[in-house]
Amino acid sequence: MYFKGINSYGDRGLVLDFGNETSKSISQEVNEVFLNISNLNLQSLNIIPSFNKIVVIFENSKIRDQNKDKISLKMKDTNSQTNKKINKTWEIPACYNEDFALDIKIIQKLHQITKEEVVNLHSSVRYYTYYIGFMPGFPYLGDVPSQLITPRLATPRVKIPARSIGIAKNHTCIYPKVSPGGWNIIGQIPFDIFDLQSSYPSLFLPGDEVKFYAVSLSEFKKIKKHNFSLNELIKEYSS
Amino acid sequence: MNSIIITRAGTHSTIQDFGRFQYQHLGVSPSGAMDQRIITELQKIIPNHQNQFLEFAYVGPSIKVTEGSVKICVGGNCNMSIQKNNNSQLEYQPYKSINLFEGDELIIHNTIDSVYGYIAFEHGLGLEPCLNSYSTDTKAGIGSINRPLNDEDIFNISKDVSSWDLISIPKPDLEKATNFKVYPGPQLQYFSDNTLQSFISGVFTITNQSDRMGIRLKGESLISSKSHDILSEGILPGSIQVPSDGQPIVLMRDIPCTGGYPKIAILNEEDISRISQLPPETKITFDLQTIY
Repeated sequence: MYFKGINSYGDRGLVLDFGNETSKSISQEVNEVFLNISNLNLQSLNIIPSFNKIVVIFENSKIRDQNKDKISLKMKDTNSQTNKKINKTWEIPACYNEDFALDIKIIQKLHQITKEEVVNLHSSVRYYTYYIGFMPGFPYLGDVPSQLITPRLATPRVKIPARSIGIAKNHTCIYPKVSPGGWNIIGQIPFDIFDLQSSYPSLFLPGDEVKFYAVSLSEFKKIKKHNFSLNELIKEYSS
Repeated sequence: MNSIIITRAGTHSTIQDFGRFQYQHLGVSPSGAMDQRIITELQKIIPNHQNQFLEFAYVGPSIKVTEGSVKICVGGNCNMSIQKNNNSQLEYQPYKSINLFEGDELIIHNTIDSVYGYIAFEHGLGLEPCLNSYSTDTKAGIGSINRPLNDEDIFNISKDVSSWDLISIPKPDLEKATNFKVYPGPQLQYFSDNTLQSFISGVFTITNQSDRMGIRLKGESLISSKSHDILSEGILPGSIQVPSDGQPIVLMRDIPCTGGYPKIAILNEEDISRISQLPPETKITFDLQTIY
């Protein structure tokens, strides 16, 4: 148990504190508690997990105080196991073609490795989805192999193409749509991961496992043509 | 069918409601009307508003009825008039419903001593919700209309006006005091007692770099004794975060879903609406509450 306690966040929020460190095992506990709390059907407006905190937001202090005990009780219930397994394991096609790998040379130069080594390393690891944030559907994945750890760009890019794969520090990500940003871009995936037409609009959930596999530009174009819906992507690329 | 056209979009005109909730863990901001006190008042006059309010800032929009008729009500402190289809001009005061007929044009020139105003439409604007809300987040491109309104946008309202009776309420007293009670933020301990004293006793000026995402303040620098870089965590509107330049930012309705700056304090919900109406150059002060 990394859980430290529940603190107030202003007059209508709570912060569940899991310490100040970050690791996969802390995030696993955070995401398990996130699911447990989500299943309590609290009168909350938003429940937001991150590396080592869960923020719960209510309409006002009265509702917050009424619901706080329910959360405390759940946290004390040591048998509280998440029975419903909802997390998925993904195999995501990634094209590391030079047209998409805008910053791969930065990583090569920093670590004195070849492009092939960057690709092999990046696609060798089963990443953990720490949480979704920054923009709709944006997954914080990690950790990347130590030979790929690279700081953010000194000057953020004004326009990162949609579906780009990035690396910053020990994390990797996918930009769901065009955005400014400071991650080192190394490739692109051939489909959208956020769809407003879907009742559950984000392809990835906190706690999902994600592995990339390299595809050629022609294979990338072939997959892109399908225009898969989120439901089709789940069938095609997850287990 | 009843139709209206935007003849002048104004600045920052968007569709808003009370907010989009239950999606922040997927990176979706709550958004919603900046001054929720006003749309709460408008509900009393146009009960069947369908949660499709038009929000504008500074320069208001002009809308013209091109077919049929609509019942509307404007909320906020605005300079406006109605150009009737027979070329006569009509005085119009906010918080009174009014029936507009084919050819009539509502012209909202600007907001007075405030920032945001709203229009409620009986039966709404014929929009479909997006993730259970009509609110617009222009930066994320989310909403029934996922962008600010443009000239010549057309709305079709299929239901006819239910009754020509007009309703009005006394102009609500939307308090404009510039002192804000705040509660300790999650990273209050990132600031020394001296810095906290500067926060409480200092005067901060609202800058023109303020929008639906945040209100940037200028004042004495609030430098953290620990760090201005924290591990990203969930944030809520009203939080006052302090980046490394020491100039605080009050996060508003279109918040980034997680943030990596320490939060010194947080406003209560009502005060988010209140601070949203203060124009740039307004001077404000904070009063730190110790309870909570």
